[in-house]
Amino acid sequence: MTRTVRARALVLGIATALALAACGGSDTSSAPADGKGLEKTTIKVGALPIPDPAALYIANAKGFFKAEGLTVEPVLIQGGAAALPQIKSGALDISHTNYVSTFLAASNGEKIKVVGDVYQAGPNTFNLMVPKDSPLNSVADLKGKTVLVNTLKNIGTLTVEATLKVAGLTKDDIKFVEKPFPDMANALSTGQGDAAWMTEPFITATQSASGFRKLADTISGQTADLPIAAWMATDEWVKKNPKTLAAFQRAIAKAQQLVASDRKEVEAVLPTYTKIDAKTASVITLGTFPTSLNETRLQRVADLMLEYKYISSRLDVKNILVGASG
Amino acid sequence: MSGARILRGAAGVAGFLLVGELTIRFALTDGVVFPPPSVVLREAAGLLADPDFLSGVGITLTNWALGLLLSVVVAVPLGVLLGSLPPVERATRPLLEFLRPIPSVAIIPLAILLIPSDSLMKVSVIVYASLWPVLINTLYGMHDVDPLAKESLRSFGFGPLDVLRRVSLPSAAPFMLTGVRIAAGIALILAVSSELLAGGAGGIGVFVIQAGSGNRTDLILAATFWAGIIGLVANLLLVAAERRLFHWHQARTGATT
Repeated sequence: MTRTVRARALVLGIATALALAACGGSDTSSAPADGKGLEKTTIKVGALPIPDPAALYIANAKGFFKAEGLTVEPVLIQGGAAALPQIKSGALDISHTNYVSTFLAASNGEKIKVVGDVYQAGPNTFNLMVPKDSPLNSVADLKGKTVLVNTLKNIGTLTVEATLKVAGLTKDDIKFVEKPFPDMANALSTGQGDAAWMTEPFITATQSASGFRKLADTISGQTADLPIAAWMATDEWVKKNPKTLAAFQRAIAKAQQLVASDRKEVEAVLPTYTKIDAKTASVITLGTFPTSLNETRLQRVADLMLEYKYISSRLDVKNILVGASG
Repeated sequence: MSGARILRGAAGVAGFLLVGELTIRFALTDGVVFPPPSVVLREAAGLLADPDFLSGVGITLTNWALGLLLSVVVAVPLGVLLGSLPPVERATRPLLEFLRPIPSVAIIPLAILLIPSDSLMKVSVIVYASLWPVLINTLYGMHDVDPLAKESLRSFGFGPLDVLRRVSLPSAAPFMLTGVRIAAGIALILAVSSELLAGGAGGIGVFVIQAGSGNRTDLILAATFWAGIIGLVANLLLVAAERRLFHWHQARTGATT
């Protein structure tokens, strides 16, 4: 797309947005199902190379997007927070993200919307792991210790804080250190930390390769069934492309149904877009794949973030959901 | 290169790999897992049959070549212009000296935010980073022109453009190519770094992100191995070009590369 066309599209988008605001209209997401008249027929969708966005690749492989008249180009992203500038610049139309990053950004005034639910944590999908000869035996033993997380002030620290609370500790009793998932096991073995917050396939790999053991499942109690990942787009994009968004949502919902009901679908598609081979895919623990964007469930994440002071005031998530139910 | 030199080089590489293999297999702390060279090399060989990796290499190399080409197209004329007009050079020098030491990788997040096309963003940061060595070397080349040769031509009635074409450009050309050779290495660093920071539809850096998320340190290292080989080959080709095109220059200055 040339700059002029982009600029015109932008002007048009702003004009449309203003016109809609003037009319007091809010719901623009109802669209015809024929795939004709989409504002945009080719979109770039960012996704991490992990199990969460399996539905995106299934929808592509099974032609669900094509049936809506939509061409989706998956783009690998480096992380949910890193994808935010890419949806803002227009390099991506929609991106995979995690709720904590998204709600943090939204409460900082970023104009973004959640347009679909992607992934929800289950038992043993995010564990605190320790080496086999570690002296730690319970969460209470973590007092004064160093815990490795992949990103500070994100899902890792939040779920660990909730886990600490049960043991009567707070984040001030431990020290969080940032470390990429692939480096965590070696960092623990060389004494750079005492426990690590890991996800799959790292949990399974460190258990089988180095005999690591689980100190605690951070997805339980207050964080049980915690919503993890979502699809996001900017306010502006959502306003400008209501039909394209509706087409995307319909196609991805069809694929999400398959993923939610049959684990084999995930196992089959994982080796096509990640470096998780079929053998590993068949043994790793997976969370669940929600088939609707549920306001009540997602408000829980925002409330948890408020309780642990990730955000300073209550965030009403229904204002940033598009196509929510419940 | 003589046979003996190649042999000594190969022995050095083999020795390094052997020490690496033995250290990793026998001397690592208990519980530390790291792929030894034999595994990395096996995976690296396997990547040659991986269409995803190969198309990724194609994408990275395209960005690299495009970025390097654009930086030459911009930096060489700019360097010649500044080198021929000393007052302009003095006026722009402070700005150049300020921009040049900014670590190019640090501008990638800014570029991601500002440039709405992924490949344009990547090519832009490559151009920005590889501009400097070409520009600075071109400037040095222009300063190094023999003033006597210029004077002689002028006294025979040649105009400034003829002096530029017949004396300054040929004399500065070897410096320019050295700049391009240095820029080629920097451009490769930026081509891969921009992929590591921004992701993308494909590329060596994109492959590394995938491998990292899948707990495949062996594949990360295998991809890194090929990135190193590409840098090495690019450098060898440019050194060969320097030797072939400017053998007279090396003979004159006695430089060896």
